[in-house]
Amino acid sequence: MSERKVLQGNIIVAKAAISAGCNFFAGYPITPSSEVAQYLSKEFPQMGRDFIQMEDEISALGACIGASLSGKKVLTATSGPGFSLMQEHLGFAVMAEIPLVIVNVMRGGPSTGIPTKPSQADMMQTRWGTHGDHPIIVLYPAFSDEIFSETIRAFNLSEKFWNPVILLLDEVIAKAHEDIEIPEKKDINIYKEKVNVIKDLNIYDRNIGENPPRVDFFKGYPIHIDGLEHDSHGWPTSDPVIADKMQNLRMQKIYHYQDEIIKFNEYHMEDAEIMVFAFGVSARAALNAVKEARDEGIKVGLFQPLTIWPFPKKALQERFKKIKKILTVEMNMGQIKYEIERVSPDDVKKKTLLRANGIPFTPKEIVNSIREFTK
Amino acid sequence: MDRYEIRLGAVGGQGIITAGALLVDIAVEKEGRHALESPTYTATVRGGPTKVDVIISDKKIIFPQASKIDFFLCTYQKPYDLYKDRVRDDAIVVVDSNLVPDLGDTKNWKLYKIPLIHEIKKELGNIVFTSVVTLSMTQKLTNIIDYDNMVNFVKNWAPKGTKEMNLKAIELGRKLV
Repeated sequence: MSERKVLQGNIIVAKAAISAGCNFFAGYPITPSSEVAQYLSKEFPQMGRDFIQMEDEISALGACIGASLSGKKVLTATSGPGFSLMQEHLGFAVMAEIPLVIVNVMRGGPSTGIPTKPSQADMMQTRWGTHGDHPIIVLYPAFSDEIFSETIRAFNLSEKFWNPVILLLDEVIAKAHEDIEIPEKKDINIYKEKVNVIKDLNIYDRNIGENPPRVDFFKGYPIHIDGLEHDSHGWPTSDPVIADKMQNLRMQKIYHYQDEIIKFNEYHMEDAEIMVFAFGVSARAALNAVKEARDEGIKVGLFQPLTIWPFPKKALQERFKKIKKILTVEMNMGQIKYEIERVSPDDVKKKTLLRANGIPFTPKEIVNSIREFTK
Repeated sequence: MDRYEIRLGAVGGQGIITAGALLVDIAVEKEGRHALESPTYTATVRGGPTKVDVIISDKKIIFPQASKIDFFLCTYQKPYDLYKDRVRDDAIVVVDSNLVPDLGDTKNWKLYKIPLIHEIKKELGNIVFTSVVTLSMTQKLTNIIDYDNMVNFVKNWAPKGTKEMNLKAIELGRKLV
């Protein structure tokens, strides 16, 4: 029997990580994500898994990278200020193709901002926070059951594609205690690939669009792991032909599989003339608003992306063939709205509801905005 | 029942977030309903204005914060001023009559002015019981959870050696309203 209980969003992340087989956590506590670390600091040692509190977020991600290289499934959890410190190592993990999961519970920013209030202002930082062209997968659940399933999915995608995956939450859903039906073990799909012993020095050698194999970097032949551009052996190179191939290998391992990676929910979209685009706590307000507006006879639906990056461009462009109005709701000064503008044709009218003062939009505010948009 | 919204406001350390957590646990674990508790607090937890929104429903809860509050209980002026804005015109409102002296517009509220903290200190000797007294008052005035379920839950939940005092706290809560 699956069990129904009341759990805090952060604890759901920690429990899902345990279910996913995560066996290493390194972190530095920060509001509003601290309960992830707090919970695992108690559970992991009793389970024979590793928990370490580091001196800061830079070393936290460094420790995660080291553990992942030796075949561990690793997790760290932080918030904006800590996530900023992690950017250098995040880039290294992308470059060296190291699987890991980073939870970022967004709070008001920039800098130390408003620690105890929610925000959705790291949307672009998760995409472009670390320098250079790089592939990234970013997931953002809204409901308690989604927090569980998307945490599992974050580990699965990270393992499959040898890439960091960022799980975004906002302070509201991370801190709320909500009822949740924890799925039974047999109903949880865990991506498992044998951790291979390195017998071939060409560990980065594969064709464009192919998944990399999972290896334990510390077993078998000694190999070179580098943040510099490297050849199939991992040795530094500035050869333009190799650099070109490696850039494409890294990008295409994600973009080739984007139909598998991109997930979203749609509500009341069948005959919608207005689409609301919202995620996290804003999606939950928007869903209430859509239902209220429907009661007034307004044909409106909600598109809630669970995968933020890669962006659900194809799905949206399909919807734009019929729906000519889109309202983007986000708790920031305007970030995803630019992505919407990029993917939508000129004949689609765009409206935004933006705020970054720590107060989530209420359903009423969104209903008002939908009403105005019908005019 | 579609959605019932409760907001408890206080200053950090008074135990209001515990009261919210208990309400939610009882609704889910004892009554099999959907419930959610969304706490808000400031960086200075102790002494800062704090609130917890509790939503109880027979259906899945969509928006996780209170927006049309049916029941509001507040034990201090500052959180009262900050957090009364989404209280419905016909809500049930309980305030500490000593610590929330300035009520402003009380709309069509069913208003209870009670020297809550004073009574808790006098009757129970320790404001640590504010959480359970608040829980009990909320139960009596809203009937949103069952009385027996509350008592049984509190008996199991109470830390060792505090069961009798917590049951007294339930009685005090009932007596005050």
